[in-house]
Amino acid sequence: MSEKLQQIISKQNKTLMGDDKKVDEVVQLVGFIVGEEEFSIPILSIQEIIKPIEWTRVPQIPKYILGVFNLRGSVIPLIDLRARFGLQTQKHTDETRFIVLKNGEDVAGFVIDRLTEAIRMPKRDIGPAPDTVSEEETMIDGVGKQADRIITILKVHKLLERNF
Amino acid sequence: MDEFEEILQDFLIEAFELIEQLDQDLVELETRPDDLDLLNRIFRVAHTIKGASSFLNFDVLTHLTHHMENLLNMARHGDLIIEPNVMDVILESIDLMKALLVRIRDTKEDAGLDVSECVVRLDFVANGDSASVSEVKVSVVVPEVEAVQSEDELDYSSMSDEEVEAEIERLLVIKNAEAKAKHDAKNSVQEEEPDYSSMSDEDVEAEIERLLVIKNAEAKAKRNAQSGTQEFSNESVEPVVSIPVSAPIVEVPPVVQVVPIVAPSAPPPPPPPPRAPREAKDAKDDGEAKGAANVEQTIRVDVKRLDHLMNLIGELVLGKNRLIKINDDVEERYEGEAFLEELNQVVSIVSLVTTDLQIAVMKTRMLPIGKVFNKFPRMIRDLSRELNKKIELEITGEDTELDKSIVEEIGDPLVHIIRNSCDHGIEIGDVRLAAGKEEGGTIQLKAYHEGNHIVIQIIDDGKGLDADMLKMKSIEKGIITEKEADQMSEKEAFGLIFRPGFSTAATVTSVSGRGVGMDVVKTNIEKLNGMIDIDSEVGYGTSMKLKIPLTLAIIQALLVGVQEEYYAIPLASVLETVRINKDDIYTVESRSVMRLRDEVLSLVHIGDIFEVERVFDNSEHAYVVVLGLAESKIGLIVDTLIGQEEIVIKSLGEYLKGIEGIAGATIRGDGGVTLIVDVAALMQMAKSVKSTVGTESSSTKAIGAKNSATDYCVMIVDDSKTDRTIMRKSLEPLGITLVEATDGVEALNILKQGDHYFDAMLIDIEMPRMDGYTCATEIKKYNKYKNLPLIAVTSRSGKADRMRGVESGMVEYITKPYSPEYLMNVVKRNIKFNEGL
Repeated sequence: MSEKLQQIISKQNKTLMGDDKKVDEVVQLVGFIVGEEEFSIPILSIQEIIKPIEWTRVPQIPKYILGVFNLRGSVIPLIDLRARFGLQTQKHTDETRFIVLKNGEDVAGFVIDRLTEAIRMPKRDIGPAPDTVSEEETMIDGVGKQADRIITILKVHKLLERNF
Repeated sequence: MDEFEEILQDFLIEAFELIEQLDQDLVELETRPDDLDLLNRIFRVAHTIKGASSFLNFDVLTHLTHHMENLLNMARHGDLIIEPNVMDVILESIDLMKALLVRIRDTKEDAGLDVSECVVRLDFVANGDSASVSEVKVSVVVPEVEAVQSEDELDYSSMSDEEVEAEIERLLVIKNAEAKAKHDAKNSVQEEEPDYSSMSDEDVEAEIERLLVIKNAEAKAKRNAQSGTQEFSNESVEPVVSIPVSAPIVEVPPVVQVVPIVAPSAPPPPPPPPRAPREAKDAKDDGEAKGAANVEQTIRVDVKRLDHLMNLIGELVLGKNRLIKINDDVEERYEGEAFLEELNQVVSIVSLVTTDLQIAVMKTRMLPIGKVFNKFPRMIRDLSRELNKKIELEITGEDTELDKSIVEEIGDPLVHIIRNSCDHGIEIGDVRLAAGKEEGGTIQLKAYHEGNHIVIQIIDDGKGLDADMLKMKSIEKGIITEKEADQMSEKEAFGLIFRPGFSTAATVTSVSGRGVGMDVVKTNIEKLNGMIDIDSEVGYGTSMKLKIPLTLAIIQALLVGVQEEYYAIPLASVLETVRINKDDIYTVESRSVMRLRDEVLSLVHIGDIFEVERVFDNSEHAYVVVLGLAESKIGLIVDTLIGQEEIVIKSLGEYLKGIEGIAGATIRGDGGVTLIVDVAALMQMAKSVKSTVGTESSSTKAIGAKNSATDYCVMIVDDSKTDRTIMRKSLEPLGITLVEATDGVEALNILKQGDHYFDAMLIDIEMPRMDGYTCATEIKKYNKYKNLPLIAVTSRSGKADRMRGVESGMVEYITKPYSPEYLMNVVKRNIKFNEGL
C-alpha cells in the first residue's frame, strides 16, 4: 500500500517537473513608441507611468536630460528618449508619457511619444541584439519577434546609467 | 554581530567618551595637582579601560593601562607629586592609549604598537620617589586578578549612580572573564573582604541583584547614608550606600527595613537617626553640591535613527509649505466664507507644531561645542612647550550647542587656526616684553549664538597680520599679481592666508608652515556654508570669526528669479540685496563691477552661470544679491527677488550628482522643483564666466560672417499664399534664404526654434491667430531680436496704422501694392546686403 502511494507520488512529481519544462518562461513587457520605432521594457523595472508634469531645467548637463521633476516628494531626473536616441525632439502631445524606471537605487523618468501595449512574450521569441553594436555600449537587450513586428527590448540599467 | 563584537563596540564607545574628558582633566590637574576629585576621575578612566581590555584580551593595552593605573594610584594616595615631567609621561602614555584604541577600532587588535618604552618610563617615574611601588608591584603578576583587587581602592563614595552601575557591570564582566580563564582565585584572597574571585557566577549575580535591591531601597529611603559609611567600611560593596540620592520622593520608610538587606553578612550597623523630610532635602542639596549625584537622564540613540527622524521632519516641512500655499489660494477663491477661519486655524496650528517639532528634533542632534573645545587645552599645552612660548587659552561658551554633523566638521579647521595663532600669532616671550606686552600670550576661544548661526571666535593678542607683508609674500609665491595686490583692500589681503600654497612662516616647523592648513580651513568652513571674518591690527593681535549655520538639512533660503527660472540661495550666504540701475554697473577689464558703499563689488549674472537662455529683455533695473562665503564676496545679478522660504535640501540623486554650482534641489509649495545654488562653487565659476552684464545680447556677436548671398535669411509672414509668393518672387533675384510662416504664432515658433538666424522679417498685419502688431511686440520682447528689422507689408495705409506699426517695433512700412524692386531695395537696405557677393 505504502509502496503504491510512493509510486504515485513520484509519478506526480515527475509529471510536475515535466510540466515545468514544457511551459516556457514568459517575459512581460511594456511597449512604447519613440520616433518611428517600437521599444519595450520589462514590466518589473517600471515603477510607474505618469502623464507629463512640470519639470525644472538643470544647467550644465547634456541636452537629452530635460531636468528634474517632483514625483511625490522625490526629485527625479527626466530624460528625453528622443534626444537620447539622437532623434529630433518634438513638442509633448496628449499621448506623451513619462515612464519612471527603477533599478535598485537608481530612478529616472523617461519621456516617450506614446504607449502601445503590455506584451507577454515567451523567452524563446527573444533574440540577441544585432551584432553591429558592441555588447558594452548597446542599450539594446534583445529583439522580440512577434507575428507582424519586431520589438526592441531596452536595457534598463544602461538607460539609468550616467554617461557624462 | 556576535556577542564579542557587541561588547567590543560598547567598550570602544565608552573608552573614547572617557578619553575625551581625560585630556581636559589632565591639563587641569597640572594646575591643581592636589585635586583629589580630578585624580580620582583620571584614575578611574585608566582603571576602567584596563579592566575591560583585559577581559577582551587586549594584552598590550592592559599592560600599558596597568602601569598608568599604578602611577595614578600613587598620586591619588599622595605618594607621588604631579610635576611637569611626571605629567609629560602621563600624557605620553595617554596618547599611546588613544593610539591603541584607534588601532583596536580599526583592526580589532592592539598589536603593532610598542608600549614597553613608555611603560619603562612610567615605572621610572613611579619608582623615582616612592617606596610603596614594590608593594603595588607584587599584586601586578596577574592583571586580571589585579583588576579585582583594585576594586577596594576605588572611591565609591564619590561616584554617581550611573558610575556605580557601570562598575557593577564591569565587575560582572571581569568575573566572567575570570571564570573563563579559570584563574586560581587564591592569588587574590589577601583581603578580608568577601572573596569575589572564588564565587561562582551565580553567586556574583546574586550579589549584584542584592546590590540593586539595596540601591532601590535606598532611593526610596532617600537619605544620605554618608554617616553609615564608616560602619560599613569592612565590606567592599557597601559604600554604594553612601551615594546621595536626589530623587524627589518625600516618604521615608523605616530605616530598619533597609539595613538588613544592605549588609547581611556584616554586623548590623546602628540605625541612623530617622530624618525628617526637610533634613532629607538638605542632604540632597549636600549631595548635589558635592557634584557626585549626577542624575542627568540620558539615553543613547543610534545617529541613523535621528537622521531618519530628521528626514521625516523634512517631508513634514515640505507638506506644511504646501498647505500654507493651498490655504492662500483657497482664501483668495472663497473670500468671506465661514470655513476659512477654521482652515486658517488648522493651518497655523500645523505650521506652528511643525516648526516646534523641527526645533525639538534639531535639539536632539545638538552637541555642546565643548566636545571640540576639550582637546584644545591639551594642544595649547603641548604647543607652548614645543614652541617655547607661554600661551594661555581662555575658553568661553563651551556649552553652546550645534548640530552633530557640524561638530564633527568644525574640529579640524579650529585645530589649524589655533595652531596658526600659536605659531605665527603669539610672539616669543622676549619679543612680547620688548613690545611692552605681557610675557605670556593669550588665545581666546569663544562660542556664542547669533540668530540662526553659531559664531566661533579665535582671538590672539599676538603680532597681528600685516596686509602689506601678506601681499608681498603672495606676489613672491606667484599667488597674486602685483596689479591684483594694488587693488586689494586690507580685508582681502587678510584673506590671502587662505590661499593654497600660502605660508608666512619663515621656517617650516612641525606645527605649521607647510601652507596647507589654512586652505583646509576655508574649504571646510565653506562646506558648512559658513563665513570667515578676519580682523587684525599689527602689534595687537588677530581675531577670526567663523559664522556657521546651526543645521544643514533644513535651511532658510532666498528665492530668486531669472527669466522663467527660479533658484534658491542659502540665506546664510546672503549678506544683503540691492536694487540697482543698469547704469550702476561698470566694466573693468571685461568684468562687471559695481560700487557698494565704499567697496567695489564684482558682479556676475546668474543667467551666465547657469546658462539661462535670455529670452526676455531685461528691464532697466536689476537686483544684486550680495553673497558672502568664508572671506570672499560677490554680487549676483538676478531679475527678480521672490522671497524667503524654509527649504529642505534634497539630493539630485546618483544620476545628476556633482553638477557644478548646484548644491541640491528642494520642492516648493506649488510642487515644483527649485534648484539650490552652491555658493562656494558659484564663486569659483564666477571667475571664469565671461560677463555679459550691461552689454547687448551676446547673440549679436554670434552672427557668422556673410560669405555668400544665401547666408542672409529673411522670414516672410503672411496668411495669403499669393502674397507670400509675390514677395518670394521679388526677393529671389537676391539669392538670399527665404523662410515662410502663415501667421504670427508660427513665425514666433520658427524664431524660437532658432534653426535660422534672421536678418529681417516681412510681416503682414492682417493675419488669423496673431496679427502683425502683436507678433512684432512679442518678437521685440526677446532680447536677441531687439535689432532685428521688422518690415510691415500691408494694405492698411492709415496714419494710425503706421503709428501702431512704429509702436510695435516695425522699422519700415510698405503698402500693398508695391513694385518688386521697391521691396527688394527696402530689404537690401535693412539687411545691409553686400552687393559684392
